[in-house]
Amino acid sequence: MNTIHVNINNIEIPTTADKTILDVCREHKIDIPTMCHLKGLSDVGACRLCIVEIEGMNKLQSACTTKVADHMIIQTNTDRIKKYRRITTELFFAERNHVCSVCVANGKCELQNLGYQVEMDHVRYPFLFPQCEVDTSHPWYVMDHNRCIMCTRCVRVCQEVEGAHNWDVMNRGHAVRIISDFNTPWGESTTCTSCGKCLHACPTGAIWPKAIVQGQLEKKPEIIEELIEKRKMHDGF
Amino acid sequence: MKNRKKIATVWLGGCSGCHMSFLDIDERILDIIQLADIVKSPIVDQKEFPYVDLALVEGSVTCDEHLAEIKNIRAKSKMLIAFGDCAVMTNVTGMRNYFPLNEVLDTSYVNAISNDEGGESPSHPCLMKLNDKAVPLQEVVTVDFVIPGCPPDADTIFYVLQEFLNDRTPNLSTAHKLKYG
Repeated sequence: MNTIHVNINNIEIPTTADKTILDVCREHKIDIPTMCHLKGLSDVGACRLCIVEIEGMNKLQSACTTKVADHMIIQTNTDRIKKYRRITTELFFAERNHVCSVCVANGKCELQNLGYQVEMDHVRYPFLFPQCEVDTSHPWYVMDHNRCIMCTRCVRVCQEVEGAHNWDVMNRGHAVRIISDFNTPWGESTTCTSCGKCLHACPTGAIWPKAIVQGQLEKKPEIIEELIEKRKMHDGF
Repeated sequence: MKNRKKIATVWLGGCSGCHMSFLDIDERILDIIQLADIVKSPIVDQKEFPYVDLALVEGSVTCDEHLAEIKNIRAKSKMLIAFGDCAVMTNVTGMRNYFPLNEVLDTSYVNAISNDEGGESPSHPCLMKLNDKAVPLQEVVTVDFVIPGCPPDADTIFYVLQEFLNDRTPNLSTAHKLKYG
């Protein structure tokens, strides 16, 4: 593929047109926060944290779903972007019930780390305190909707990598929920293979194994990409 | 000394863990009292809330008493600091907010297994009256600075106090002292 040139944060970078802005930034160690992006899965541009400014465009664009083009001039860390990233992060915290101190993911949570990254010391919006379910029907795992940020990484990993499509999304707006099968208890699922990939893909303490307690959660989201690469190797034989 | 500042620390709807962490600054409390007097605190015998330069308020606003108290504190403090996760974002104290108040009380006082049938929710006029929702300080008064954390580290508390007492503004982000949970 022909080499093209893009300008990111005033640095000329040669690349190819098949890549997204996020790919190019990650290759060149340009820091962009993400929540819904997970290497190996398709990108949906849901979390709106990877927004960037592209010269000539009024709207901010999500870096994970926008392909680079020749002579594109991109800014990834302006005051305007930082402002919106902080707002987005605060809305994540205000929308559901994120109580870090009693969470299994405390200290190892991508949402918590995002808060530190965008310098969020408090939330400026009123908390919604919705009544969310905790589904403990699965013999090994728990789905706690209080801690879900609707990144849909579990939905995509289940469909695209495991091929089971146990998870999906129901409703819209703040009533939106991740569902197992046709909104039935996870433990009664006829599609779930109990593989645990959703658990590793989940960035927060929303999906976790019953065998652990507060602050003990160890997730390995990178194994998803590893799995995909290993399967490619086997396909080659 | 003329310029000695006055500090108050207050315990509203919290577990006192933030105050425990405050005491964990250990001997550095001597550095603090070089610059200021702690005039009202759970560790100081003082009834009325006095006029102060800095008020560290732990816990959320959960009842009528807290609401009156925080308004009084606001009126008498030059700077009000929300101290810990409960004061900043309700944290554990807000976990009852997902349920109607009577359901919450009944769960503890009426339907708890240990009650051996019977039991009633406390309603004596001397007792404080719980509000429907526990709210962070910022929902009822203006907050000047926040120290998140459950509890905030002793180092963070000392850092913030030291900065304010030396007329500087602390920055938790640049000092790598932001923490929730």
